[in-house]
Amino acid sequence: MTIRKTVLAGSLAAVTLFAAACSNNTGSSNAGTSGENGNGSSAGATKTITVAYGKWNETDNWGKWLTSVKEEFENANPGVKVELNAIEGSQYATKIPLLMMDEKTAPEVLAEDSFMINADSEAGYLEPLAVDTWDDWSNFNEGIKAAVTGTDGKIYGVPFSTDVRGLYYNKVLFEQAGLPVPWEPKTWDDILTASRTIKAQLPDVIPFWMNSSKAGQEATTMQTLQMLLYGTDDTMFEDGKWVTESPGLLSSLEFINTIYSEGMGPKLSQVMTAQAGQILETDLMPNNKVAIALNGNWLTGNWAPTGGKPWPEALDVYGFAKMPTQNGQGQGFTSMSGGWTLSVGAKSAEKELGFKFIQLATSKEHNKEFAMLDGALTPRTDVAADTEYTGQPGTLYGVAAEFITYTHVRPTNSDYPAVSTAVQEMVEKVASASLKPEAAMKDYAKSVERKVGAEKVMAK
Amino acid sequence: MGDTNNRSSKRKRNGNRSEQWRAALFLSPTWVLLLLFFFIPGALTFYLAFTNMALTGAAAANTEFVGFQNFTYMFQDETFRISVWNTIVFLIFSAVVGQQVLGFLIAFLMNGRNQTFRSIIGSIVISGWVAPEVVTAFVWFAFLNDTGTVNAIIESIGFKPITWLYTFPMVAVIIANIWRGTAFSMMVFQTALSDVPKEVEEAAMIDGASPWQRLVRITIPMIMSSVVTNMVLITLQTLGSFTLIFALTGGGPGNSTETLPLYMYHQAFVNYQLGYGTAISLILLLIGIIASLLYMKLLKVKL
Amino acid sequence: MSSVKRKRPLFNRYMANRALPYIVLSIIGVLFLLPLLWLVLASFDANATLLLKLPEQATLENYTATITSADNQRSFVNGLILALGQALLVVVTAGLASYPLSRYQLRYKKMFMYIILFATGLPITAVMVPVYQFFLYFKIQNSLFFTILFLAASALPYSIWMMKNFMDSVPVELEEAAWVDGASIWTTLRLVITPLMLPGIFTVGIYAFSGSWGNFLVPFILLQSPEKLPAAVTIYQYFGQNGIVQYGKLAAFSILYTMPAVVLYIIGQRFMSQGFSFGGANKG
Repeated sequence: MTIRKTVLAGSLAAVTLFAAACSNNTGSSNAGTSGENGNGSSAGATKTITVAYGKWNETDNWGKWLTSVKEEFENANPGVKVELNAIEGSQYATKIPLLMMDEKTAPEVLAEDSFMINADSEAGYLEPLAVDTWDDWSNFNEGIKAAVTGTDGKIYGVPFSTDVRGLYYNKVLFEQAGLPVPWEPKTWDDILTASRTIKAQLPDVIPFWMNSSKAGQEATTMQTLQMLLYGTDDTMFEDGKWVTESPGLLSSLEFINTIYSEGMGPKLSQVMTAQAGQILETDLMPNNKVAIALNGNWLTGNWAPTGGKPWPEALDVYGFAKMPTQNGQGQGFTSMSGGWTLSVGAKSAEKELGFKFIQLATSKEHNKEFAMLDGALTPRTDVAADTEYTGQPGTLYGVAAEFITYTHVRPTNSDYPAVSTAVQEMVEKVASASLKPEAAMKDYAKSVERKVGAEKVMAK
Repeated sequence: MGDTNNRSSKRKRNGNRSEQWRAALFLSPTWVLLLLFFFIPGALTFYLAFTNMALTGAAAANTEFVGFQNFTYMFQDETFRISVWNTIVFLIFSAVVGQQVLGFLIAFLMNGRNQTFRSIIGSIVISGWVAPEVVTAFVWFAFLNDTGTVNAIIESIGFKPITWLYTFPMVAVIIANIWRGTAFSMMVFQTALSDVPKEVEEAAMIDGASPWQRLVRITIPMIMSSVVTNMVLITLQTLGSFTLIFALTGGGPGNSTETLPLYMYHQAFVNYQLGYGTAISLILLLIGIIASLLYMKLLKVKL
Repeated sequence: MSSVKRKRPLFNRYMANRALPYIVLSIIGVLFLLPLLWLVLASFDANATLLLKLPEQATLENYTATITSADNQRSFVNGLILALGQALLVVVTAGLASYPLSRYQLRYKKMFMYIILFATGLPITAVMVPVYQFFLYFKIQNSLFFTILFLAASALPYSIWMMKNFMDSVPVELEEAAWVDGASIWTTLRLVITPLMLPGIFTVGIYAFSGSWGNFLVPFILLQSPEKLPAAVTIYQYFGQNGIVQYGKLAAFSILYTMPAVVLYIIGQRFMSQGFSFGGANKG
């Protein structure tokens, strides 16, 4: 009878000891960090800020830009060390909330896709930024500022890029197939007709490429579904509710279904992998294997001399056409704009230094450096007016200005990220022919209802 | 398992206090590790599965108890049903049938063959088992790829290539898992077969039993306990299998290879629904518990 | 029975019967070998594709590039720390536990073994969310040390089960002789039991090592800093979006990544067979 007690006592003692060991361990590591930070004020000692960003490909343009900012920042702030935390691109969306949610790992500065701003600020992961005391803030595009404003009206990120989407079309292939160049589709049917012609004339070419898988993540939502949906009479989010069933959504899915069921899309083995985008940009397009690709203006960054696949003739071969609305309704064309921001982790230690770093990274000089490196559109009005930037060969800055007049932004709602993954599942199901468009839409409606609650969804 | 007959020869030491102390001491690291890192997280599952905990959004800041909401949704969730079905198919064809039958076949055919030949074939089969799962996934990704070896062979004999990973994704992950796991069953059966006394088989042979009859009536019944143990062990291993499918197909295309562990991962860490992900874990845990109880019953364990 | 006429056809059938297993096994062997052969050849190929072929341009460049990368070196070291640390912890803990479980009459033994056996069945790594919350609550995430403890705990039930069975097969008489000579329990454990337990130690150690060496999910969720990630996670840099996949380098990385497991297997091979003996399980 005493034996059990003995064992219990023994185990308890061990647990206590162990717990003590744990707390010692964390205690000492905390002491280590705070010691470092505490000493920062005295001369010669160091403070460290961490900058987390996505490494999207071998070229790592973001890394190049942030490294140059880091060097300048460290020189200007003696005693401050900047650590760059490059996160594998395909794992970025999962890793970044795991990092932000705890004091121990929260980075001072992080690259944040603007659609996450609402969700992450409501989760308490992001620090509101004191932009009122920052003169340079007035140089940022007003429209883009809306996308970085939280539901509480505060600013949670400084944008460093924006973008537009449209249709890349291969002029060489179009001419071979007897299609008009320049190509100016007016309706979705024009796109399907062109694709069918390509399919008939040039059987070895992929007529129409679009991101269509869960692996494509946000690209699938934005470059594919929203580019279609926002060209119909419906949208994703109206009057505070998610529109989960609508004729426009069904038409969009039917468009995707038509492309794949008629064999006009890429092979599933090409488009369902995480490296689908990379294969498109550095292999299929430069080798004239894709006739039309629904994608973003930033592809040119890959083809720049500093890119992963330098290709000076890229824009002689590929034209960039506006995406028409379904039947030419509304303004006749549509586009989507998103963008990335630099934000400060609310649970990080050196928030002020973090914001200082962001100010430098998004300054005129460094933003121009980044935009020219990456082929991104600048959110700064002064860079946008810079002739060196606008005159850079092999970019779409000129065309993009027109696209922006037709553009839409994603719903600014904290449930957006969760809804977006449901969109990706829906698109993949249709593209892989697992479900018919109607059934996929029904699944989507159920999935969204579960995530956001029945009171926040509607059918049209 | 092992020899417990020497128990009778042990001195009776019940009541020896220093031994009881020593036992407690020797077992304490085990208790601490299991309690802290096994049973507490396990128990936590029962709580988190009833919350709306999320990785981002307002629910990340204020986690609430939501009752059975996750489960009512789960049972209406088409994808959940698909992933349960996928788990069963994957389990039965890759482990219970595939690894077990192939493992037995290899062990049986090897029994009594040339030693060098045995060790060559054995090493080849085992190398698939020794390799980490990510490597297995990569090897099969290449082998079954559009431009991979299998398709080159198919084309060379005049057929059209097959996009295995997209047309027959479940077949692909099952084959990969058989390739990976067969060695385990093979080794279990090799050991079991080597324990079957030669005299019994020879006696049957003299009685005029055909090889098939000898196999079914004598050999298999004699190694039945190994068959059962092996089956339960590989069932449990396969149930929690994550990396192989994750690296090979990521659960896709669509949901066609999404098993419960992958579905849990996607819901929790990609869709940011930690509470719902945990509810899926709980189902997985319950299946494991049932399998465990079955294990103990089947083996009639006496301790 | 010994008629010459009957012997001839019988002899031929006998030959066929003898040859059949060799033929079937050879076919199985080739089927198992082909995918692996691609990996080996691709790793030496300067222009590796997904197709099994002899390298036109054989090179060691894939290996040198992989080995000389500081990031790769770090991830291998991290992987070794995790896997060796965990294996060591498991062997010691399970070894200590198995001794009283095998040797003493304990009142709670039955319950304990039931718990252990029961825990063997739980797919604990699939329960990552609660584990992550637990780590977050105690602020022990992003730590190699605590990741090792978790990995050890998840491998422990099966390891104890195996270890106890090995311990049961070590004759108790040797210990008794040592005690008669006045050796303490620790000396006996160290000098008498441990050498006899080597098969068990190796089997359990290898089981534990390969479990954590290949584990992707646990370090991926529990470790955040890139400088702490093991090879099982960093191998995804080649799978991911990093440009056109360099199959040669990925193959070289894969082979290097497989090596530690192979080496351990070869070392432990002669002990392993005992680990697969479940024949007596229901004699218990």
